[in-house]
Amino acid sequence: MAQVARPKTISVISVIAIVLILLAFPMLFMPSIKHMGDFVPMVLGIIITLQFVSVIGVWHMKRWGVILFIIMFTVRVVTFMYLDLMNFRFYFTVFYSLIFIAIFLRYIKRMDTNL
Amino acid sequence: MILALLKESVLFAWGALVANKLRTFLSLLGITIGIFAIITVFTIVDSLERNIRGSVQSLGDNVVYVMKWPWTFGPDYPWWKYMNRPVPAYKELAELQRKLKGADAMGFRIGARKTLKHLNNTVENGIVSGWSFGYGQVKTFDIAEGRYFREDEAEGGYNVAILGSTIAEGLFPNNEYPIGKTIKVAGRSCKVIGVFNKEGESMLGNSMDNQAVVPYNFARLFMDVKSENSDPFIAVKAREGVSNMQLKDELTGVMRSIRGLKPLADDNFALNETNLLSKNFDSLFDIVGIAGAIIGGFSILVGGFGIANIMFVSVRERTNLIGIQKSLGAKNYFILTQFLFEAVFLSLMGGIIGLLLIYLLTFLARGAIDMEITLTRSNIILGLTISVLIGIISGFIPAYGASQLDPVEAIRTN
Repeated sequence: MAQVARPKTISVISVIAIVLILLAFPMLFMPSIKHMGDFVPMVLGIIITLQFVSVIGVWHMKRWGVILFIIMFTVRVVTFMYLDLMNFRFYFTVFYSLIFIAIFLRYIKRMDTNL
Repeated sequence: MILALLKESVLFAWGALVANKLRTFLSLLGITIGIFAIITVFTIVDSLERNIRGSVQSLGDNVVYVMKWPWTFGPDYPWWKYMNRPVPAYKELAELQRKLKGADAMGFRIGARKTLKHLNNTVENGIVSGWSFGYGQVKTFDIAEGRYFREDEAEGGYNVAILGSTIAEGLFPNNEYPIGKTIKVAGRSCKVIGVFNKEGESMLGNSMDNQAVVPYNFARLFMDVKSENSDPFIAVKAREGVSNMQLKDELTGVMRSIRGLKPLADDNFALNETNLLSKNFDSLFDIVGIAGAIIGGFSILVGGFGIANIMFVSVRERTNLIGIQKSLGAKNYFILTQFLFEAVFLSLMGGIIGLLLIYLLTFLARGAIDMEITLTRSNIILGLTISVLIGIISGFIPAYGASQLDPVEAIRTN
């Protein structure tokens, strides 16, 4: 199976995205999140995990990675707005995620459509 | 069909884990320790928080305390402003009862450490509290045996006492029935009329277990009511529909008039509410929780790296097998789920072992300390969730790599 060559921009963005997503993981244990309800950490954890999976897809130059990233970005924004978690960190996340999406979309035509 | 594929993936994963028992054990150890660390911190913090909130709750949500010192903490506490204030007096309670409209009930309380005796049994430094009759309507408590004192007993300063469970056990060992017996409180004879329900240890030190309650008019015979050491205060419970803020406003005006303060003079009393205590504890628990989250979060990530490492080894070892499976028609997602399940199993087993260890620890702790430490449902859900998610995060990269292998090259690999 021929691999699609990965542009350097995608490599750099993917590494940054993975680091940012892993750094968001300890957020699940924050007392403020825990106090919101028993299942809130689970929901946020699933969002973070699927974002991680989407970036791995992008790293492998798969189109599903970009689509999953956009879906999870939307879900994350809606969930955070619903949970009223709109602080500086949220706006920063929205800001860099939009930049990432723009860059991913630039290369989407070169990406593989298979799983 | 999907279910059949999933079942096959699960069986493959299980077979691989059973085949390498030592490796499986070592790799799940990281997650076990991570989950153990983080959930232990949360269990302890939650238990302490529950205990303190219970203690604060027993003081009453809609109760305002008239005291000498305010319940505020921090480095800028101007103690020099408060130290010359007078302590609340019993006669002020009568004035408040006459003038205050927004109060449902109010009472006066003093307390000091005294020796209690019954025959040869002695309780040293037991807390003896002197309550006015109304304090019993403000404070929340349960009586296990006997009764609360009557109004005439309170007003007349009768020598009657209600004992906390620890004091009762100390004075009446071997399940002796205490009601109606005479004890000595600070050298004075006193008849036991009730025993409080056991409350357990309180972080605020206000558990009824270590207290003996007598009427205020009896307590003032052996306590210095004007001394700060007796910690005198007036507790005022708001009438239904009256907020604490409204009650405090009214109390401020009435207390100022009772104490004859000039319009520009500062208040020489403090009006304290339990939510002041709660706020201080909230910030403390948040700091402990955040510290626990950061330490535990990173220890779990390290455990995740351990699983990822083992999964890479596992993929490398079975490359040949993956090639054969793919050449026989196995789809990419079948290979992916097979390795992903293996990682999730490893992580989940680690998490479950970690949670079981905490459960055992809470049993041991119950015997060792007089405070209820419980592994709550929310912490179990959190522990299991984190285990599964770490399994997915650490297992996805090797599993996806395995699913993308070229069958011909994979079969050729030694």
